[in-house]
Amino acid sequence: MGSHSENIGSDKNGSAGVGRRDLIKRSAALGLISVPTMSFLSACASSGGGGDEDKAKAGKKTAKNPLAVNETAQLEFVLFDGGFGKEYAEDAVKIYEKGFPGAKVKFSATQKIQSTLQPRFNQGTPPDLIDNSGAEQMDMGVLVGKKQLADLTPLLDAASYDDPNKKVRDTLRPGIVEMGQFDGDPVWIMYYAYTVYGVWYSQKALDSLDATYPETWDQMLAVCEKAKKKGIAGWTYAGKYPYYLPFSLYPMIGKVGGREVLDAIDNLEPNAWKHPAVKACFDAYYELYKKGYVLKGTPGLDHIQSQTAWAKGKALFIPNGSWVENESANVIPADFDLAVSAPTGIDSSDKMPFGTIWASGGEPFIVPAKAKNAAGGMEQLRIMLSEASSKNFTAKVKSLTAYNGGTDGITLTPGLKSGVAALDKAGENVVNPRLQDWYVQLQKEKIGVSGLGEMMAGRLTPAEAIKKIQGYADEAAKDTSIKHYKHQ
Amino acid sequence: MKTTETPVPPPAESGSALPVTKVDLATGKPSRGKKTEGNVLNAFSHGILVIWAIMVVLPLLWAVMTSFKDDSSIFGSPWSLPDRLHFDNWSRAWTEANMSDYFLNTVLVVGGSLIGTLVLGSMAAYVLARFDFPGNRFIYYLFIGGMSFPIMLALVPLFYVVNNMGLLNSIHGLILVYIAYSLPFTVFFLTAFFRTLPTSVAEAAFVDGASHSRTFFQIMVPMAKPGLISVGIFNFLGQWNQYMLPTVLNTDPDKRVLTQGLVQLAVSQGYKGDWSGLFAGLVMAMLPVLAAYIVFQRQVVQGLTAGALK
Amino acid sequence: MQHGKYRFIVGFLALPLGLYALFVVWPFVQSIYYSFTDWTGLSPEFKMVGLDNYRRMLDDEIFWKSLRHSLMFAVVLPLVTISLALFFAFMINVGGRRRKGGPVISGVRGSSFYKIVYFFPQVLSIAIVALLFAFAYNPDSGAINSFFRGIGLDGLQPLWLGDPDLALWCVMAVLVWSTVGFFVVLFSAGMASIPADLYEAALLDGAGRAATFFRITLPLLWDTVQSGWVYMGILALGAESFAVVQIMTTGPGGPDYSTTVMVLYVYQKAFRDGQAAYATTIGVALLIVTLAFAAVVMRLGRRERLEY
Repeated sequence: MGSHSENIGSDKNGSAGVGRRDLIKRSAALGLISVPTMSFLSACASSGGGGDEDKAKAGKKTAKNPLAVNETAQLEFVLFDGGFGKEYAEDAVKIYEKGFPGAKVKFSATQKIQSTLQPRFNQGTPPDLIDNSGAEQMDMGVLVGKKQLADLTPLLDAASYDDPNKKVRDTLRPGIVEMGQFDGDPVWIMYYAYTVYGVWYSQKALDSLDATYPETWDQMLAVCEKAKKKGIAGWTYAGKYPYYLPFSLYPMIGKVGGREVLDAIDNLEPNAWKHPAVKACFDAYYELYKKGYVLKGTPGLDHIQSQTAWAKGKALFIPNGSWVENESANVIPADFDLAVSAPTGIDSSDKMPFGTIWASGGEPFIVPAKAKNAAGGMEQLRIMLSEASSKNFTAKVKSLTAYNGGTDGITLTPGLKSGVAALDKAGENVVNPRLQDWYVQLQKEKIGVSGLGEMMAGRLTPAEAIKKIQGYADEAAKDTSIKHYKHQ
Repeated sequence: MKTTETPVPPPAESGSALPVTKVDLATGKPSRGKKTEGNVLNAFSHGILVIWAIMVVLPLLWAVMTSFKDDSSIFGSPWSLPDRLHFDNWSRAWTEANMSDYFLNTVLVVGGSLIGTLVLGSMAAYVLARFDFPGNRFIYYLFIGGMSFPIMLALVPLFYVVNNMGLLNSIHGLILVYIAYSLPFTVFFLTAFFRTLPTSVAEAAFVDGASHSRTFFQIMVPMAKPGLISVGIFNFLGQWNQYMLPTVLNTDPDKRVLTQGLVQLAVSQGYKGDWSGLFAGLVMAMLPVLAAYIVFQRQVVQGLTAGALK
Repeated sequence: MQHGKYRFIVGFLALPLGLYALFVVWPFVQSIYYSFTDWTGLSPEFKMVGLDNYRRMLDDEIFWKSLRHSLMFAVVLPLVTISLALFFAFMINVGGRRRKGGPVISGVRGSSFYKIVYFFPQVLSIAIVALLFAFAYNPDSGAINSFFRGIGLDGLQPLWLGDPDLALWCVMAVLVWSTVGFFVVLFSAGMASIPADLYEAALLDGAGRAATFFRITLPLLWDTVQSGWVYMGILALGAESFAVVQIMTTGPGGPDYSTTVMVLYVYQKAFRDGQAAYATTIGVALLIVTLAFAAVVMRLGRRERLEY
């Protein structure tokens, strides 16, 4: 490439003409580096500042358009492409496009929420609606703390999609709005899915053992013993991700010791884990390991592997959430008769009745404060919270939504049906531990992997596990680099 | 017995064809000759070679086999043969994964950046290896230092740089970034290589009136061809498997490269529990590369041979 | 003469250096700058906090664990991989049986077959490899434990990735598996270029195979071994260890932090915990470790050159 041009000014005869040509070349070379760098520097300095001027203007507020969405503004929607897939959201996008034929919706689905969106938050050009979920979930505490999110109160106070006389707020399941608050009134997050956590099992397997779901721990041990005689393990769990254990363990702690114990744990209060109810429940779970009721090899299984072993009848019970029915659909046999139950307690002296269950919102949707078309983002959510969209979601992915109801007229799968029944049975006795939303590292890596995981693999005694976990909780309470939350 | 009877300067041997040697393996054990200590040792070491070959091939065959099974038998009985050939896994993976598009994108990006890396890398390396000037060492170590920095850390600032230049979500933008990130190792490798080339030829050319750049392109580059091939192979593998950079710089679904598509597939099939589909996708992504390697293995091996000669 | 030379130097360096400075150096300089701030990564606001992040890092138990494991990766992994590769390459190229009338040295039968097969894993993405092995290590129905059961070793059913004493080794084994082939081909290439008369001389001196290897093969291959070591070590500290640990291990990084490595910790802090500034601090530590590693290897390996 360069050989010809270089040849002209070759070294032998070029000494006369050095000055100018050389200078030009040299400065051009320098320019290559410095020009973009300088423009970048100046761009960097001014980034973050910009924003308001290119926001979409408000549209006309009508009964059909209570959020005053600009009818021609583009809407950008980024969905987490996980267990629920993207079809349900694509369907809802189609409804939006029908409602606003002049608007273009830019929809994309990814698993890499944070690595794709982080630069855009920094730059002040985030999309209008985000399903902030998955392994790369952006820390909500930071987003709220740094004022990056829009308050969803206008959405909650708008008329619902189905009934102009009913606010969106009044169509939601109890607890959903509160979960979206951090401190004070604004609601930052709309949890779209509604998850029931608990102990999942095959009714058919229990029947064949001539057993019913145990309500006390003695009964639980008896059922496990029965199963063991037949060569079936009592329990298995996602050993590589032991933070699945709390799905049944935490509500059990709540049932045994009362809500306050769970609240104290969430609030990172000193000695919260030293409560006798915690010890009783840890002892109970440890007994499963001690008596050999946990499927061999469980500590080395990931969630899919453990669910598959369980679906194949190698173990009776597994702590999980309502997504398991969809996630393991390929391996759950047709006559499995999937069911979920609230966790077994210790005995009749427990503070809360049998049936106390953990249920809460999943799939957190957010509208960024700097979104160009925030109203559009909220409108899209309003559409998704309609009865029709909610039903569509439930039918497609076998999970409930935040919309209260939405199950009439569709055939419920066994697991879903059992989940609805469990919620009915629980009534008021729904607990909602928040550790997994508030302190991800503490919950997953420290309590989950290093505490519970080690205990259930038999490498820690319950007393040691509690001591270790309390230590982690104390560390987190003292850590000034993370934001702390309290139950209101 | 063909390969073993020809006198063996090993480079020639690297060209012999696969089937022939396979036959050798099958008929294999040394029957002739005295049972000396050497033979025992030989059998032992040959045994190890065979075991390692099995260890390498087995997981790959297993993956291919698994891609034809249904989910419950993948987990239930990993060693059993598929009950029937579940081709539906493949069609599911193919329709979900858009593998052909991703493949084309990847070829474009890797092709462009590979050429760019070699041209720019050899230019820089040549200057750094053969010319004394103030700052030479500094620039050299600046390049070398780049090998040791986790790309992950630069992602966010890099996003701004690329965005400000209007190169986001573009194939050529990706190519430029790939080149930049491949330079450290390329410069490191080629600088060492240029240093070992004899200086006399270049000097002679120079005395004959060739310019520096002409000397470089017409004399040094051909001499350095073996080194270029070696480092080209290193870079090809690295760029082909590059994942972090496109994830951040290339979010347009139509411009995804193969690794993005694969991870997308792995994660989404994982969430859906569709592991048979995932295996089909993995095998689909694996086979073209493997096939290309088997076809070109002679060139690859020769390239590396030449590179290691120096 | 001088000016021509400089013009040439500038002309040749401008483009590569410019591209490199713009896309690599500059973002890295910025990220080092971030390590002195409290940037979360999720908003453009941040303030300077001086050395706070560094102080925090020195007290961070998990950081020290990750550092220890990263060092293991950088030292043990190349050592095992390169030793194995040298052994295989030597056997393939020089280890053949001596025959009457044949050449003094020869490779084993099927040497080119081995070279092709051993290289296979190298053409696979490390993510695919990690995924495959995660299945193989499944203690309940994975390939390895099923195999043990199949040959009657029912008692031997390790938890593999679920056992803190084994997990790190399991992960390293996967990297060895996937990289040995590359070095076998690389070293075979080098060995092929060693003149046969050197071997003849050694054999005349009555040297055995081991002696031949250590007196002739290894010294002549030293440069290649050394670059290979640096290359492998850097990969082991960075990209490759991230992929395998992230995909395969408990947690990831567990059980009980037994497999966490620096590059994983950087990722988790930046992309899970919203603490980008602290992540860059760990990244700076990783940079220092990697540079130190490269310097040590180059220094230990320094030899007098035969030519030039």
